[in-house]
Amino acid sequence: MAQVQLKNVVKKYGALGVVHGVNLDIAEGEFVVLVGPSGCGKSTTLRMVAGLEDITGGDIVIGDRVVNDLPPRERNLAMVFQNYALYPHMTVRENLGFSLKIAKKSQPEIDRAVDEAANILSLTPLLDRKPGALSGGQRQRVAMGRAIVRQPEVFLFDEPLSNLDAKLRTQMRVEIKKLHQRVGSTVIYVTHDQIEAMTLADRIVIMRDGHIVQVGTPLQVFENPVNTFVATFIGSPPMNLLDGTVQAGQVVLADGTTIPLPPGLHIADGRRVQFGVRADNIMPEGHALPPTAHMAFVDMAVTLTEPLGTETLLYATLAGTEIQAKMLNPRPVSPGETMRFGVALDKCHIFDADTGLNLRG
Amino acid sequence: MFRAKLPPWLVLLLPAFIIILAVVAIPLILSLYSSFTPYHLTRPDTLWKWTGSFNYIKAASDANFWKAFGRTVLLLTIALNTEMLLGLGLALMVSKVTRGQRALRTAMMFPMMFSPILVGFQFKFIFNDNVGLVNNALQSLGLTDVAIPWLVDGNLAMFAIIFAEVWTSTSVFAILILAGLFAIPQDPLEAAKVDGCTPWQSFRFVTLPFLMPFIYIAMAIRSLDVARAYDIVQVMTNGGPARRTELLWTLIGRTGYVDARMGYANAMGYIAILMSIGFTIYFFLKLQTARRELGMGEM
Amino acid sequence: MASATQHRIKKRALKTAHFLGLFLAMSLICIPGLWVVLNSFRPTIEIMAKPPVWMPQSLSLDHYRAMFGGAGEGGIPVMTYFRNSLIISITSTVIALLVGMAGGYAFARYSFKAKGMMFVALMASRAVPGVALSLPLFIIFGRTGIIDTHFGLILVYVAMNVPFTIWLIDGFFRQVPKELAEAAEIDGCTRWQAFWKVEFPVARSGIASAGIFAFLTSWNEYALASQLTRSTTSKTMPVGLLDFTSQFTLNWGGMCALAVLMIIPALLLTFVVQKHLIAGLTFGGVKG
Ligand SMILES: Nc1ncnc2c1ncn2[C@@H]1O[C@H](COP(=O)(O)OP(=O)(O)OP(=O)(O)O)[C@@H](O)[C@H]1O
Ligand SMILES: [Mg+2]
Repeated sequence: MAQVQLKNVVKKYGALGVVHGVNLDIAEGEFVVLVGPSGCGKSTTLRMVAGLEDITGGDIVIGDRVVNDLPPRERNLAMVFQNYALYPHMTVRENLGFSLKIAKKSQPEIDRAVDEAANILSLTPLLDRKPGALSGGQRQRVAMGRAIVRQPEVFLFDEPLSNLDAKLRTQMRVEIKKLHQRVGSTVIYVTHDQIEAMTLADRIVIMRDGHIVQVGTPLQVFENPVNTFVATFIGSPPMNLLDGTVQAGQVVLADGTTIPLPPGLHIADGRRVQFGVRADNIMPEGHALPPTAHMAFVDMAVTLTEPLGTETLLYATLAGTEIQAKMLNPRPVSPGETMRFGVALDKCHIFDADTGLNLRG
Repeated sequence: MFRAKLPPWLVLLLPAFIIILAVVAIPLILSLYSSFTPYHLTRPDTLWKWTGSFNYIKAASDANFWKAFGRTVLLLTIALNTEMLLGLGLALMVSKVTRGQRALRTAMMFPMMFSPILVGFQFKFIFNDNVGLVNNALQSLGLTDVAIPWLVDGNLAMFAIIFAEVWTSTSVFAILILAGLFAIPQDPLEAAKVDGCTPWQSFRFVTLPFLMPFIYIAMAIRSLDVARAYDIVQVMTNGGPARRTELLWTLIGRTGYVDARMGYANAMGYIAILMSIGFTIYFFLKLQTARRELGMGEM
Repeated sequence: MASATQHRIKKRALKTAHFLGLFLAMSLICIPGLWVVLNSFRPTIEIMAKPPVWMPQSLSLDHYRAMFGGAGEGGIPVMTYFRNSLIISITSTVIALLVGMAGGYAFARYSFKAKGMMFVALMASRAVPGVALSLPLFIIFGRTGIIDTHFGLILVYVAMNVPFTIWLIDGFFRQVPKELAEAAEIDGCTRWQAFWKVEFPVARSGIASAGIFAFLTSWNEYALASQLTRSTTSKTMPVGLLDFTSQFTLNWGGMCALAVLMIIPALLLTFVVQKHLIAGLTFGGVKG
């Protein structure tokens, strides 16, 4: 159980910078999830913590040691690789027990740990096969198992569930959470999956182009995105953004529609902004949550519907921009129908049109 | 309509089989037959005299033959293992080089282009006790002032022969092992590092198992022409001095061509052939097992 | 921080050791060969000098002039040997490749009884030591009158090279998915066209590496050639090397010049197909 600190960590491949000065404090036993678009440097960051990549600049601290120059084996961590990295010449059993064998654990001890991990991951029937004879999802489970047989100070997961079917993924998510609660190790977890990020994380770290954009609890990043990137990256469907100009406490959209600024925001007239509202906060009248104190109303023509069961996702056009809205207690809506939508202003955001920064601060 | 009846694989393999039949199988049958006769090159009629296993019994009770046999096995064992270890070391070192690796690889293949007979002459000269490169260098460096009789002393001559043999053939191992090193996926190695392996343990438990098929391929390729050493030995010492470096092959060559006792030479030849084939089959079986270990499919 | 500096020192030490080891190994590999090349340019007196002359004093083309001129060195017909070697090596390589391609294709694409056995038998035929084979071949070739001809040696070299060629090419054809040829057949190719248009191009680098091995084997072979060739009409260069020796003397400088002549074509060829060589061996052998 150790804290992990990244201090101004930089990674360059020759002249090409891949990670540009990442600062991150991870507390003992914390579960941190790294998210970001493909190629933004998540795996690279993880691999630097593991010691598989040299760091070009900065410091990495695990526990109370600066580990910049320590080889992976002296960092006491376990890692699940994005592409499994199983030992093809060993059986599943040998793969699982390998790290314990290296650590000179006794055979009964190894067997116990392996059996337990195999049980958790439903790998028991596969123990004597070689990785070549496993499916993608089975291989991924072996890779998971290899990490969990150890009880290291830090777990590193690089998209460990990406190849599993939906049911198995949910099941594994629960297992990872239980594992974390039981062993209490520090976890750094990379994923593309929104739900994984939201459900597992103590804190989410959003990266883009080798920079950290925002760090916060799942609710913080969901409710208070620092800029349009986070706003559209976190949450599904992504937040709707409408271009407009501020006039007398209102946002004037391209076609002249006006929406009041969210309460508590004072912005100078003439400033170009983007008005951000999530689908959950723009709902057709009569199919919405109870109205709050700060509501605005707009009329929009529905172009497309996506029934999801308990709710329906509506696509509508407002001032030339396509918008997604949610309808609770859905009824059939025919395309072209114009409906009146209520906007919960206190949940909306105003971003600067040029910098993309959230003007709420 | 006869052709249509042959299965296509047989048609395709037929040329290969015909040629091998003509050049290898039939001569071997002839030599097998002649090994049961006292056939003497200068007296053709001796080919028709059947003496049964006389030649074999003679070989089996010939101390020189057994010495040569033992020496051959010893030479092969030492040479192949040394080549393997040096090739492995060389490949590991070259694989770690980042700049100029292509040039190094080409240089590494240099000895492969030398005819074994040329290698023989080359090292005969290098180890010459009077004007050879080795003695010259040792004397100029002041390490010794006597002329070391490299090719005259039995043990030193064996050493010189093995040195020459290792010089030519290490690159075969190095190249194949290097190819193996390039083919190794990186992720299991990284996983091993994270799993707590020291560099040595990573090598031992991950790299080496991956390299085994390549090592066996190299062994198999080498076993196909271990007898190339014959050329080297023939030139460097021709089995001498006083039979102290006599190998099975030089003994056969001399008995057959110099003494013209073909029947006897063929009998000994058969023993050499069986030994070579034994080596080859052994390494091919090893190769198959190693491949299966890695799940690389059947042969 | 002590352990960090320790690691750094260890790293540097390893680096130095790596460099030194590589340097030593490369010297051992290159010096004997380069020494041959150097000696081909030095006068015999200097080569044989005692105490040794380390810094070459006079470099000349004398040995080459003597070799090609055919004069003064007992008139060794080097160019004839060179031509013999070239004809025999190239012809046997081409034939071995054709035969090997057919055989390799059969092993890769068809399944038949005793395939494994046949394969091993084929390999075993290659393992027969040249000197043991040369005894009966000497007798047979003598009887059939093809001793001391190009044809005889070409035949022998084809047989020597076919097994290894089949092995390498077999491995390569296995790399080419069967579906590829099948797709081509569905697209209207005959089996024959499918082979030449689809499978052959993919397996080309295996064929190249088999080719260079076959060529080097024929080019450098001595044990059989020395028995099966007698006169200048068919002697190859490795056998020709012996012309520079007599009972008690050895014209080392002249021999070195011929050696250089032998190495250059091999070197050029190897350099050209170097990339294929490694790829060919890897696929042929391991994935096969
Ligand atoms: N060896 C390398 N040399 C040069 N660039 C590299 C190298 N390895 C990775 N990169 C680059 O670094 C960037 C970050 O890669 P990284 O693997 O960390 O992305 P990622 O965030 O994990 O993406 P994904 O979600 O697709 O796995 C990418 O743009 C990649 O192209
Ligand atoms: Mg990644």
